[in-house]
Amino acid sequence: MNGDKPLLPQGAELVRPPTRPMVYLCLALALALSLLPWAGTIRWLVPDFVLMTLLYWNIRAPRLAGLGTAFALGLLIDVAHGVLMGLNALAYCTATFVVLMVRRRLENFDAARQTPQLAPVLVGKEALVLGLGLLLGHGFADWRWLAAGVVGAALWIPLVWTIDRLTGRPESSGAREPG
Amino acid sequence: MSAAPQAPLFVREMGLPARFGLYFLLGLFLLALDARYTTLAQVRAGVNALLHPAQMALAWPWEWAQHVAGFFVTHGELVVDNARLREQRDRLGMDLQDRHALVAENERLRALLNLPTRPGMSAVVGEIMETAPDPFSRKVVINRGSGHGIQPGLPVVDAVGLIGQVTRVFPWTAEVTLLTDRDQDAPVQNLRTGLRLIVSGQGSDNQLVIRFLDMHADVQAGDLLHTSGIDGVYPAGIPVAEVVRTEPPRHTPFASAYCRPLAGVGRYRHIAVLRPEPAVAAPASKGGRR
Repeated sequence: MNGDKPLLPQGAELVRPPTRPMVYLCLALALALSLLPWAGTIRWLVPDFVLMTLLYWNIRAPRLAGLGTAFALGLLIDVAHGVLMGLNALAYCTATFVVLMVRRRLENFDAARQTPQLAPVLVGKEALVLGLGLLLGHGFADWRWLAAGVVGAALWIPLVWTIDRLTGRPESSGAREPG
Repeated sequence: MSAAPQAPLFVREMGLPARFGLYFLLGLFLLALDARYTTLAQVRAGVNALLHPAQMALAWPWEWAQHVAGFFVTHGELVVDNARLREQRDRLGMDLQDRHALVAENERLRALLNLPTRPGMSAVVGEIMETAPDPFSRKVVINRGSGHGIQPGLPVVDAVGLIGQVTRVFPWTAEVTLLTDRDQDAPVQNLRTGLRLIVSGQGSDNQLVIRFLDMHADVQAGDLLHTSGIDGVYPAGIPVAEVVRTEPPRHTPFASAYCRPLAGVGRYRHIAVLRPEPAVAAPASKGGRR
């Protein structure tokens, strides 16, 4: 009838709620993306797609992807990358925990506003992995890998857009206008 | 499935920090376990067995694409490479041949240098410059002549044995008639029996003959013939030939024996001319130097 703004503030549009298979499929795709044979010269620039997807689902549907999922995925990544067992699991758990703590705020923001708040988390995760590796005596830490966190933050908006489209979330419902 | 996204009405679970703490401890425990002990190797192997096929499947199109790209990109390079490698191979082949030749020559020269000099004789090492362009004779020209103290009639040897005799001398070169020349004879002695014989050339590079052999002479295949030294031309004891076979007399009253020259007659480039020492060596006078 009228495409203008409604007179009364409206709640979120009715969207099909995300289901568990949807979430796991998304995470599996992200895992596949991170398992691709990236060239060694740009490997340190490749963001952690798994963590980003995990954070996305933790913001949107925390009951479908929690600390347990993060831990399990971290272990998978540990084995796939051949690093110490529990290294990425710990980092994923920490990042998830931080995001879950501030989830109420994040879920009301759109992707563009989430980016500056998630950037420290993404960079911090890389720093945590490097620090833990250093602590456990894995020798020299390549600090260039922190760039992966920055790249991840830069790719946050496209990622949110892609998953939104894939899961049939309408554009406008991504975030409610604050206030 | 349907109730999953909604928060339950009554939460009966640990708080978020507590759960995080538990997971954190579990992670630390795993880390310590993996860093200090090898107990997790089995677990890792198991998970890896699950992950590896997926990883391979993901890598396959990637590698295939790189393969195809590499094929097209490098075809031009391959052509260039091929030409370059071909050229290099030819050059290396030539180098290798040169090297083989040099090694062999070096060995022969060493052998010549080690030639035991006979008393009263000194060796003048020379090189064959050319062979006489005469199909009926076996003659070579060496790069040593009267300027080096060569005289007609001197024996020429290589590291193994006699190969011929100096027949003509020029100031810087000399002509050597090989043992195998038709008109060249050498007085020899059978090393086994002491029988004195004369071997003659036949015009063949690897055959000598003893003509006019007494039909009862004790000559067998395998006998070694050395110079006898009674002619005054060749010093005694230089190996000359080995008897290959003897032939009984047929149309003549004499038997004959065919021999193989021991030295590399007509084969090598370096020879030595045996030159008699001056009868009395000039004493080195210290006063003359001052």
